[in-house]
Amino acid sequence: MQKVITVFKWEIRKLFSSWRRTVTLFLVPAVLLMAALNVFPLLVNYMSTGSLNKKPVTVVDAPESFKSYVENTVDARVFNYEYITFDEFQKMNEDKAAFKKQLRKGMLICLFHSGDPDKDFDEEIRSYYDEIYAENENAVSHAVIYVGYDYNSLTSAAKAEQFKQTVLENYQHGLIDTLGGDYALVGSTFFDTDTFNPVTKLEDFRTIANTAAARVVPGVLMIMMYYCVYSLVSDMFASERDRGFMAKLLMTPVKPRHIYAGKILAINLIVSCASYVTMLLLFFSSWINRSNDAMSLLPFGMMLTPTELVNIIIVVPISVLLMTAVCISIVFSLDRMQDITVNLQLPLILFLGDFFLQMFRGTRPVTMEYFVPLHNTMQLVSETFMAQDKTWHVIVVCLLNLVLAFIVFAVTFRKEELK
Amino acid sequence: MIKLVDVHKSYTKDKETIKGVSFEVKKGEIFGLLGPNGAGKTTLMQMIATLMKPTTGQVFIDGMTADKNLLEIHKRIGFLTNEIKLDPMSTPNNLFDFFAALYDIPENELKDRRDESFARFGITPFADKRINELSTGMKQKISIAISLIHNPPIIIFDEPTNGLDILTSKQVTDYLKELKEQGHAILLSTHIFSVAEELCDEIAILVDGKIAAQGTVEELIKQSETDSFEKAFFKIYVENHVE
Repeated sequence: MQKVITVFKWEIRKLFSSWRRTVTLFLVPAVLLMAALNVFPLLVNYMSTGSLNKKPVTVVDAPESFKSYVENTVDARVFNYEYITFDEFQKMNEDKAAFKKQLRKGMLICLFHSGDPDKDFDEEIRSYYDEIYAENENAVSHAVIYVGYDYNSLTSAAKAEQFKQTVLENYQHGLIDTLGGDYALVGSTFFDTDTFNPVTKLEDFRTIANTAAARVVPGVLMIMMYYCVYSLVSDMFASERDRGFMAKLLMTPVKPRHIYAGKILAINLIVSCASYVTMLLLFFSSWINRSNDAMSLLPFGMMLTPTELVNIIIVVPISVLLMTAVCISIVFSLDRMQDITVNLQLPLILFLGDFFLQMFRGTRPVTMEYFVPLHNTMQLVSETFMAQDKTWHVIVVCLLNLVLAFIVFAVTFRKEELK
Repeated sequence: MIKLVDVHKSYTKDKETIKGVSFEVKKGEIFGLLGPNGAGKTTLMQMIATLMKPTTGQVFIDGMTADKNLLEIHKRIGFLTNEIKLDPMSTPNNLFDFFAALYDIPENELKDRRDESFARFGITPFADKRINELSTGMKQKISIAISLIHNPPIIIFDEPTNGLDILTSKQVTDYLKELKEQGHAILLSTHIFSVAEELCDEIAILVDGKIAAQGTVEELIKQSETDSFEKAFFKIYVENHVE
């Protein structure tokens, strides 16, 4: 055991002997991934609207209640608003082809219609609530909000859906408070609970942020982990064998398994720490992101409970161990450095594929997925962010990956000894 | 101290790299392995150094085999090959401390051994410099110092003067002579005739994985009916090499 620690200390000291190596391993991938995650939504925005700015919404005949809602609500400000009158809208609509083109390019129309030529939108709603309060059974509102978009364009439709969900729904619910009059005093709550209970507010943000994070963070974590394992195994095993230093180590009166164990321990500690640093940066990125835009990959409020955090802290080193085992088996089964480098990159492609599948999948993982090594880590982290993790998931993922790692190590080292 | 009995090694089923090699290296003797590239010198040395297993045959180190006494053999062997490149970001001091810990060298002996070894090869002024800042010769001297950190009775050197300047080569060959006088058994592979002639008590000429001839320099010259060691080598090589 003493020799394992000697080798472990040597490898750790070697890594920190060069600030370039340290930065390359700990910060560069995390910062690059973080930058990519922040640039990606901008690109999507550009692709759907042709602009890097916030998504524009043209509001026709906007009532005061809506303008006031937009001014006072953070969620609503993920869109840019252009207010026009109904006459201006009709003029815009004269050239049908140009109008359609603008819709296709991402323009969204939101038209407020009171349904009564003598009243504006707010007045219509207010009188409707008054009638309900007066227990008029025939009370009816003709007020309508139209949302215009190009239904042939997926991005335009998605944007319209996002606008309806994040802005209009909340606005409609809020109308009762602002225009409900006496009815609001009876039928609605007196105060907004969020004002008095910041935890409730955070929980609301967490729901949106963690849903987005469940798609992104597991893949980022896996790619980051594999990148680090790949670099370190290349350096500590492949390069050292290539330049004969491994032979020098194996010539010492220390069991080869102890030398390998020291190196594996060092890889595990370094990669686990690098993964935790990445996680920390992802959380930091989420918490400084003031927007609660569902399109953002890391919206404000990403949060884990202590138990969820412990789950991830446990599952990371075990997955790193399995990745290390796979990489070492590749290194030991090949002779030429070129072949080793190419073959070590192959799993990275698999992880990238898995990452994109995770980003765009619309279903929850099926039970069988927890039995697919390393893919199960991604699913477990994802479910943890969605607060859907179960104890047996954690146990299966940890046990399966751990046992498999030891089997791969045992077979690889046995083969190496027989050479 | 080193004994090889009918050692064979095949990397693939249809090709044998080492074809039944047997020889013995005794205490206080320098045994030279001479041969062209691809003759099997490095494979043979790696098998003796326990880095590789023979396909058939046996390698004995002080009567022990690697199957049963691997770590004990490692304590008795110092192995140096010019293929070893040290970690570029480490310093000689770091490397010495690391290998001293692996060889269980007591703390109280460590400083004396380091001072003595570094002084002999002129490493002391560079002891805290990074390996990548040092010359090839200096790197080789550090490799030698580390290989012999545990003062092993058996020394295996694969092309120890390869790529070194004349002055450093002289330092290395002088050191080898000194080690021989101290009673170490030294197995040396080289393709430099002058080094073989000057240092080796006995030489084996390896051609295509087989020992084509073995003896002292004089015996080899006589055996091949030539007037110099260089000519003897070429004659033996031509007679035994299969195209």
